[in-house]
Amino acid sequence: MKLKQGSFLWYLYLDKIYCLLSVRNVKALMEYFQLLDVHRKNTLNDVLFFHFLHHVTNLNRPQIMIIFDMLDWNAVGEIGFDQFYMLVCILLSHQNHLEEQFIYRHSRPVFELLDLDGDLRISLDDLKLYNFLFNIKKQELKELYHNFDITGDHRLNYKEFKLFTLFSIDKYQERQKAEKKKQHLLNKTVSKQGALFQSPPVLT
Amino acid sequence: MEEKPSKASGESLVHHGSEESHQQSDIRKLWTTATLSQMNLNLPLSKVEEWSDTDGSSFCHQKSGVDPGDNNFKQELDEHTLSKLELHRGRSLGSNLEERESRTEAEKSSSMSSLSILKQTPHRAYWAEQQNRLPLPLTELMENEAVEILTKALQSYRSGIGKDHFLTKQLQRSIEGLKKRRNKRLHVS
Repeated sequence: MKLKQGSFLWYLYLDKIYCLLSVRNVKALMEYFQLLDVHRKNTLNDVLFFHFLHHVTNLNRPQIMIIFDMLDWNAVGEIGFDQFYMLVCILLSHQNHLEEQFIYRHSRPVFELLDLDGDLRISLDDLKLYNFLFNIKKQELKELYHNFDITGDHRLNYKEFKLFTLFSIDKYQERQKAEKKKQHLLNKTVSKQGALFQSPPVLT
Repeated sequence: MEEKPSKASGESLVHHGSEESHQQSDIRKLWTTATLSQMNLNLPLSKVEEWSDTDGSSFCHQKSGVDPGDNNFKQELDEHTLSKLELHRGRSLGSNLEERESRTEAEKSSSMSSLSILKQTPHRAYWAEQQNRLPLPLTELMENEAVEILTKALQSYRSGIGKDHFLTKQLQRSIEGLKKRRNKRLHVS
């Protein structure tokens, strides 16, 4: 899933720690939502929602309708600003590779979104359905259900899901550290090489 | 004469006052009126001085009460009274020169103060925009994108529920409203 370059959402950004929009960004988003809310109901129906997502992302029709069903948690056939804001945060976290951070920071709302039937459990099939949005790899999904299904019912309750988010954020932070070290070492070697070339040879 | 510079400064003062009362008005008006009032003040100071010169000379003639072209009148007067009149005229000329200088200085200071007010005016418009409204480029981007999305949605509405459905008409009106706003902004800029 990619955001269209130069679109309005492309210019918004999430706070990297809390994975939320700033007040200024929310204000801009509200104005944008009101432009799309042509029927003055503070909601977007499925047609407007589809054309909006189709315009700003590369998602296909089935994926867009899956997202619509996920966000329409009251089953009224319309999306309000709260759900719209949630969607924008998810899209931006995906765009900026902050999925682990987002799921960790907002584990409860994400769990409730993924719990489609409301039985306070998430099945493997539910997670596979939304994989394109949260970017959890297939191998990681298998590990998730193998390692964190403590109750053994092949589904995750909220505590098990929370454990998974803690585990994935630890892995993410380790990855970040390793990348920083690599970059630091690379910079050092490059600067050393540069210094060697610049300094004149000493004649003995 | 001296009316034009003071009128311009008066306009800028009025404009300055009106900003506070019309804070919710379109920010673009603030920018356009700021530039319009600035145009009136693009007068070289030499022109201001010219107008004050003409003022001074006419004032000088009125004060002395003597028409310099009236030779017959001069011939009838004594030399003493003539010298007295010349002295008096010289003094009035001198005082008029001083008055003229002070007036030009006052005009200069008023024009400078109005210029400084005008320098502040675009900054006020800028800060009002920053705090109360979204930046115009962002608003433009949002509106253009909304028009594109809604135009595509209109086609779905027409094929799904028909042209005459009230929701289709409502959507059409919104699109037309957005397009009008966009065109208005393009004409203003």
